[in-house]
Amino acid sequence: MDDGDESGLVLSHNTSAGSKSSGDKMFSLKKWNAVAMWSWDVECDTCAICRVQVMDACLRCQAENKQEDCVVVWGECNHSFHNCCMSLWVKQNNRCPLCQQDWVVQRIGK
Amino acid sequence: MSLKPRVVDFDETWNKLLTTIKAVVMLDYVERATWNDRFSYPVSMSSILKFELQQNILFSKFYPRKVLDSEEKVLVMYHRYWDEYSKGADYMDCLYRYLNTQFIKKNKLTEADLQYGYGGVDMNEPLMEIGELALDTWRKLMIEPLQAVLIRMLLNEIKNDRCGENPNQKVIHGVINSFVHVEQYKKKCPLKFYQEIFEGLFLTKTGEYYKQEASNLLQESNCSQYMEKVLGRLKDEEMRCRKYLHPSSYAKVIHECQQRMVADHLQFLHGECQNIIRQEKRDDMANMYTLLRSVANGLPHMIQELQVHIHNEGLRGTSNLSQENMPTLFVESVLEVHSKFVQLINTVLNGDQHFMSALDKLAKYCDNLLKKSAKGMTENEVEDKLTSFITVFKYIDDKDIFQKFYARMLAKRLIHGLSLSMDSEEAMINKLKQACGYEFTSKLHRMYTDMSVSADLNNKFNNFIKTQETVVDLGIGFQIYVLQAGAWPLTHVPSSTFAIPQELEKSVQMFELFYNQHFSGRKLTWLHYLCTGEVKMNYLSKPYVAMVTTYQMAVLLAFNNSQTVSYKELQDGTQMNEKELQKTIKSLLDVKMLNHDSQKEEIETESTFSLNMSFTSKRTKFKITTSMQKDTPQEMEQTRSAVDEDRKMYLQAAIVRIMKARKMLRHNALIQEVINQSKARFNPSISMIKKCIEVLIDKQYIERSQTSADEYSYVA
Repeated sequence: MDDGDESGLVLSHNTSAGSKSSGDKMFSLKKWNAVAMWSWDVECDTCAICRVQVMDACLRCQAENKQEDCVVVWGECNHSFHNCCMSLWVKQNNRCPLCQQDWVVQRIGK
Repeated sequence: MSLKPRVVDFDETWNKLLTTIKAVVMLDYVERATWNDRFSYPVSMSSILKFELQQNILFSKFYPRKVLDSEEKVLVMYHRYWDEYSKGADYMDCLYRYLNTQFIKKNKLTEADLQYGYGGVDMNEPLMEIGELALDTWRKLMIEPLQAVLIRMLLNEIKNDRCGENPNQKVIHGVINSFVHVEQYKKKCPLKFYQEIFEGLFLTKTGEYYKQEASNLLQESNCSQYMEKVLGRLKDEEMRCRKYLHPSSYAKVIHECQQRMVADHLQFLHGECQNIIRQEKRDDMANMYTLLRSVANGLPHMIQELQVHIHNEGLRGTSNLSQENMPTLFVESVLEVHSKFVQLINTVLNGDQHFMSALDKLAKYCDNLLKKSAKGMTENEVEDKLTSFITVFKYIDDKDIFQKFYARMLAKRLIHGLSLSMDSEEAMINKLKQACGYEFTSKLHRMYTDMSVSADLNNKFNNFIKTQETVVDLGIGFQIYVLQAGAWPLTHVPSSTFAIPQELEKSVQMFELFYNQHFSGRKLTWLHYLCTGEVKMNYLSKPYVAMVTTYQMAVLLAFNNSQTVSYKELQDGTQMNEKELQKTIKSLLDVKMLNHDSQKEEIETESTFSLNMSFTSKRTKFKITTSMQKDTPQEMEQTRSAVDEDRKMYLQAAIVRIMKARKMLRHNALIQEVINQSKARFNPSISMIKKCIEVLIDKQYIERSQTSADEYSYVA
């Protein structure tokens, strides 16, 4: 990652010069079809409550065919779970199942 | 009887005893009075007797003479005497059971003594129970002197049997059995004697006989007759084994026969494979399969032939039809070919897994045909074809393998924009859903949705750029697919590290900014090996446009700064690993966009490259192919192992489900139920189910029931 940032800095002043005179260059770019993969920005790939990968919907949502709505939630402790798993969990015990700190939602995935 | 010890005259008693023993062993009549008298000797007496017996069952010495005297009937006589003797020996053993248990057991060397040596006792003459002693005597005095004659006679008899004469089965079996029987009491390698004196020789003879037989058969018959005869022979030989030999030899004999008749002539059989498969002679194929299956290296050749044939048939069936023909005809012929082979493989080849993979290729091939050649047809027609395809699909057993392949091909179609129409793709996914259920297609469906979500994202991104405070010029037509991790059959680990060219930097930064504003908690991983782009070449007479991969793009852009670029510079600039960089450079050399300055074939670290300033092409817009888009063998392998992994998880889930519902279940019932549940997706192998059961026992989902060995119970 560091490499990328560095080259970006070095190159950025080149770009401004380059884009003006793009006609003179040997090659100019016309199109770029990029492909990227998104995943939840989590430390642990599996939801500790339902043991399903966070990228997949939790079993309840899979069964009810609501995959699209099954998002991830992060606590202040930075632990993450399926939002629906966690909302059931806090009804019994308002602590993070991993670190036992009081559960405070930091953000919800979208 | 007085309880006082009395002196016994050994010789006198022994002589009396001897006559009785003789009578017993010879199965003669013994009077009741004598009987009582003879066998009520005290232990001390018997113990002496034991040693004497060793010396004195010499009466059997007269047997060998008698047997040899009987000329041709050696075997018959031997058999008769053995029969009597072994029965007699059994009775003796019973009579002296007291001696056996009281005296010999105590004095006998234990296993441990034998193993580690035991001082003071003569190791060559260990104590034996009476029955063992009798058998041992028989071996020493009967079989060993007669061995040569007996074996010769036996082999002769069996050879006659092979040639169609009717031998005395009972006798042969009895004689051979006696070789086994005389050493049966031994704890260690009880079959050693039998193997030494008979089996080895028999196998050699068998080998010789069948070698001769095979070359005879080859001379007088063609391949299909040969195979039929060989199969007949093998069957006969198996029957023969069962009639005469000890069970331990069955497999060895059959193996020997197969070696001589099949493995030795493998080349001949392989040569014929092609013809048989081309002409689709089912009986011959079935025979060929049975023969080749049993020999190492036998099958692969046949599989290959079959694959080639199926492939050709598929091509032939479809290429005959031109576009004007009814498109349904097209699918019908594919269908026809397919169903023909499914049937053929199931009936003729016992659905062997290897052959199923040939079938799989066909499914894949059909799919490709349906997609790529579907250009120029109306959507309705495509629809029809897909419906027909589903019909084919229903016949495939291992649907999960198909699913994996289909997912991979769908991924490539979607990313590289090869699909004819998105509607057809969706229709196909829905049809698969109908055939196999929601779970089966959920990932395919997610892939499909990612595409339409991405289209939406691209629009939003373009608006986003326009509404920025300072006008942003990406300097490039930017389009992106954002895929959901987990749904796509793509490797996360790229084949190489990569430093993105400066020209693309801005697009990446802007999009990440946009994406993080639009969503939260997500991170993006750029899959450079899948990205493509268009590069305009400004230095030529015509404004050519090359469609390239991002890797190629990075290499080409290096030439903006200087006309010649060294390998080292490319390596530093792109950060790509050696393998990927060489591949990329090579692809550009191949289309002659670049020149290798040293004119060498190999790319080295000292190499320098320059632009070909006189590059020409027939088209103004062209694509530079790389090997990336083809299916590599590794990918196939990966797909296979991924399928295996998935199957294991599926089976484990099924087992847990079943056990949770039933609480207790017997092994066989469990296996049956698991097979039933997974039938819709694939045919699980029993061994795989067993492994999964073991895994679950380890993980303590289930446990073996305490009451019964073959029962499991669910651990809540």
